[in-house]
Amino acid sequence: MAGVAAATLPYVRGPRRRFPLGSVGAIGLMLLAVLVGAAVLAPWITPYDPEQTSGAPFERPSPRHLLGTNDIGQDIFSELIYGARISLMIGSLAALVAISIGTAVGIVAGYFGGWADVVLMRLVDIVLVVPFLPLMILLAAYLGPSFWTIITVIGVLVWARPARILRAQVLSLRSVEYIEAARAVGASAARVLLRHVLPGVLSLSLAQFIQAASNAILIEASLSFLGLGDPTAKSWGSILYYAQVRSAFLTGAWLWWVLPPGILITLATLGFAFTGFALEVSLNPRLRR
Amino acid sequence: MARFLAGKGVQYALVLLFAVTLNFMLPRLMPGSPLVFLAGEDTAFMPQAQRQQLLQAFGLDRPVWAQYLIYLGNLARGELGFSFQQGRPIAEIIAARLPWTLLLVGLSLLLGTLVGVAWGTLSAWRRGSVFDLSSLGLFMFFESTPSFWLGMIFIALFAAGLRWFPIFGAQTAGAALAGWALVTNRAWHLVLPLATLTLITIPGFFLIMRYSMLTVLGEQYIATAKAKGVGETAVMYRHAMRNALLPVATVFMLNLGVIVSGATVVETVFSYPGLGRLLFEAVLARDYPVIQAGFFVITVTVIAANMLADLLYPLIDPRVRRGA
Amino acid sequence: MRGIAILAIIAVVVTTPATFGAPAPQAGTVRIAITRDEETLNPYTYQSGYPGWNLMTLIYEPLFYPDANNEPIPWLVKETTVSRDGKTWTLTLFPNMKWHDGRALTSEDVKFTYEYLQKVPHGRFTPPTGSIERVEAPNPTTVVFRLKNPDAGFRGRALADIPILPRHIWESVTTIAAARAFTNTVGSGPYRVAEIQKGQFYRLTANPEWFGGPVKVRELVLPIIRDATVSHTALQAGQIDANARSLEPQLVEQFQRLQGIKVVRGPGFASTLLQFNFEDPQLRDVKLRRAIALAINTRLLTNLLTLGLGVVGSPGYIHPSSPFYAQGLSFAGDKSKAVAALNELGFVDRNGDGVREGADGRPLRFTLQAQSGNPIRTRGAELIRTWLKDVGIAVDVRVAEDAAIIDLVWPDFDVCKGRRFQLSMFGWSAPVMSRPTALVDLFHSNCTIGTINIGGYKNPQVDRLGEQLLATVDPARQKQISAQMQKIIAQDLPVHVLFYLDVIQAYREQPYNGYVFQKGQGILTKQSFVDQPK
Repeated sequence: MAGVAAATLPYVRGPRRRFPLGSVGAIGLMLLAVLVGAAVLAPWITPYDPEQTSGAPFERPSPRHLLGTNDIGQDIFSELIYGARISLMIGSLAALVAISIGTAVGIVAGYFGGWADVVLMRLVDIVLVVPFLPLMILLAAYLGPSFWTIITVIGVLVWARPARILRAQVLSLRSVEYIEAARAVGASAARVLLRHVLPGVLSLSLAQFIQAASNAILIEASLSFLGLGDPTAKSWGSILYYAQVRSAFLTGAWLWWVLPPGILITLATLGFAFTGFALEVSLNPRLRR
Repeated sequence: MARFLAGKGVQYALVLLFAVTLNFMLPRLMPGSPLVFLAGEDTAFMPQAQRQQLLQAFGLDRPVWAQYLIYLGNLARGELGFSFQQGRPIAEIIAARLPWTLLLVGLSLLLGTLVGVAWGTLSAWRRGSVFDLSSLGLFMFFESTPSFWLGMIFIALFAAGLRWFPIFGAQTAGAALAGWALVTNRAWHLVLPLATLTLITIPGFFLIMRYSMLTVLGEQYIATAKAKGVGETAVMYRHAMRNALLPVATVFMLNLGVIVSGATVVETVFSYPGLGRLLFEAVLARDYPVIQAGFFVITVTVIAANMLADLLYPLIDPRVRRGA
Repeated sequence: MRGIAILAIIAVVVTTPATFGAPAPQAGTVRIAITRDEETLNPYTYQSGYPGWNLMTLIYEPLFYPDANNEPIPWLVKETTVSRDGKTWTLTLFPNMKWHDGRALTSEDVKFTYEYLQKVPHGRFTPPTGSIERVEAPNPTTVVFRLKNPDAGFRGRALADIPILPRHIWESVTTIAAARAFTNTVGSGPYRVAEIQKGQFYRLTANPEWFGGPVKVRELVLPIIRDATVSHTALQAGQIDANARSLEPQLVEQFQRLQGIKVVRGPGFASTLLQFNFEDPQLRDVKLRRAIALAINTRLLTNLLTLGLGVVGSPGYIHPSSPFYAQGLSFAGDKSKAVAALNELGFVDRNGDGVREGADGRPLRFTLQAQSGNPIRTRGAELIRTWLKDVGIAVDVRVAEDAAIIDLVWPDFDVCKGRRFQLSMFGWSAPVMSRPTALVDLFHSNCTIGTINIGGYKNPQVDRLGEQLLATVDPARQKQISAQMQKIIAQDLPVHVLFYLDVIQAYREQPYNGYVFQKGQGILTKQSFVDQPK
């Protein structure tokens, strides 16, 4: 769905008002900067080590604990800041895996066509069909519901749509004159791919990467919430998992235990979506009207 | 056209076979024994011989390839198997759970589409205005929101807090309701999960309708600028909208495939007895037949949706009919 | 004059049913949430120990039944005679007991049931029948059990556990698969199954012909609420009247403040523990196990995870409230002692990475399994990881599905199959503790006797004492032997018992408040709805 968003964000040059295109991208980058900044600076800006029990369980927000404490007395504010590290890292790495696979597949399918194209695109259909929930549980059971398992699984499932989009891009590039010329002159496929096609898709890849990261963060949150993630890695999703299973709603604790992580997840997703969209628009003048 | 369909048909059959095989292998590869759910949690105290008897009774001791052939044969006959855990035919279980999922997701998809399309059109018509921009902001926000979190907030606010709605289930348990009372009770239970799922569905349709409309309008707009009179604009509005709906139609049909598993998280939060939740529970319980059958139903649905999209799209868009 | 007569007549007419008729049940419909689907609630399809077995026995009754203190009391039985050698049990049944379909319940049904369990094995009910040589039914109200050997647990594990099946209905169900799929629910108990909505709820109605007397609640509606949070919210909101699930500690204060809701609490016999793999080359050393245990502040852990509504674990396994508890046994965590012990063992941080290494340079690093669906276990693992890190032991927590962990720790539920793990979070449910033979099941090194010795612990002294325990029928002597075993186990520490969570239950006093709290289990017991038949 975030991909759809990317294709449709404004443009904003209407008859009455004018907003610079960059404002969307600017908001996105700002959000990301704040979150990434918080993640990087975590050891310095958190009041407590989130793994240590620093208070009584279920404390309400107070000057000592800005967002209170969780069920085992750990400071929620500190947890959230460290959670940025985990969630952002999982999102980015999963997206990296997805886009690497997607770009490779898109290039091969688009450039070589023929059987490779047919097989790969069918593979794309198949991947879109594989139910990802049991696949996650399978891998989680073998590899342990770890950081790396989630990254691998999300990556292995999210590459399909970008592959399609990149393939379309490669198809349109293929007929561009300088590539035809290069082939006519006898340049090897590898050379053409590396020198001409790859740079052509790189920027679209980047935009897709950012979209994928947006998706990945949401997926990781859902998986952790369902208890399929690693609950001992303090991602935002697993904070919500504990809030749910320790009955945060019923105690009014939901205000400081459920609301903030969800808002952060949304902001991170938005940040990536806006940035990715702005990038895509600036790369593709046709989207700009 | 016929050749196009035949080609696609073969490809989809291959996809189906591959997916079915994958679906069969996946549960087999998972570690853990289903024995605890064959005989309840007290299997711990069962002597080995009796445990073996149980394994045999449920076919778990046959070699994998034998189980696979049986599986394929059964699927061909439409036989979805027998649940270890529930001791009854899976077709029955799915038949009981599927309607709830279809109800929930079908309604949210419908509502989401209607609201999304209408709002998207309006937004495109007033592009650049405050209305447009704030709508965009609003829907971008909802699209980026985790659905389960939204659900949790709704429960905390409206169900546990204000007590306007029930907290769980599809209908009040044990109450002998019938007729209109039953319908209203079920509708009442449906409100919060439906609201959650719909809020997540609208943004996609809103954005695509808006973009699509803008594209069409953009093309026509310049021409329109030369024309005079509201009548022409109205005609163009109808004409534009029909064209703008094309990508929406595709997206709608493709989303149908995601129906049966996409609502798992919402069903979990609201304890709504649907297929998504059944699948999740079956996987945790290592109830192999239910997992296989559930995947099969989802796979068939996705492929069917794709095939439908392939068939109908040329009918809607005459440009495609002539072949890409 | 006539007026007074009329009034008198009216008064008599109105009050007569109350005086001479059956007393009305104390409540109409009570809604009690249960945690999972229990299929068709007959002996071969019900799923869980609690509340499944408790509900099933409302419909199908065993000969005896556990009272509030878990002591088996006669239920279908008027008189019991045990021969002096302990091998012959003669039971006289109540006359006039009927099945729900009107047929009479006789000794033939009892004989049939115990023989049926041999032919169609049941995970829970068949093993205790292993000591029976034969069952005789000389007349419709007399049953004679002839045992191969005197069996200490016969009354508790067999007679008070196994529900009696109607012969005329079950004699045609001859295979396990058929039994598991059999949906018939004709029993003899105070409740009948009126309605089952798969995956949603059960409706049980009182059996007016029950031989044992009045049934206090006319109708039980049992909605299935799998999600803990949802079930507690539902109770709070008045959508249900009671919850089979234990109330979570963090909600207790809030629920106690609510009008009309009563919170009851009692010691819980379910344990949460840290399991060591005795066969691991490092963990085989008792000093290392003790050092690890010392690093864990069990008092703080218990407080954090139970909020004061639990009891710190006893190193001998048995709960302090149990009659078998060896008085005075306890274990306290102490970080400085842990550090000293590790130093003494020669584990020192040689390379400054915060993790101790042995003399051979190998780091002190362990994998700790934790069950993913269980937040108390995962939080416990998190805390243990932090505290062990503080003393220089590295712990990798591996969270996985229950089934995946069982695969490593207790493959196929068969201790003879070995084990592949180092440390694991684990726990046993209440029935394990209530059996007098618990310690034998847990710690005997012979895998066919110590059926839940998942750590592979081996101590010949414990084995000998355990064998003695099995052959002892006298409760006083049982307690003595058990205490001796506990003391040895407390020294050896094959498991480190962390805590026992109290059983805390909440219910609405309207419409019904006649619940009986069964020690270690809760309010969903037959005693809550009917009295012992006399």
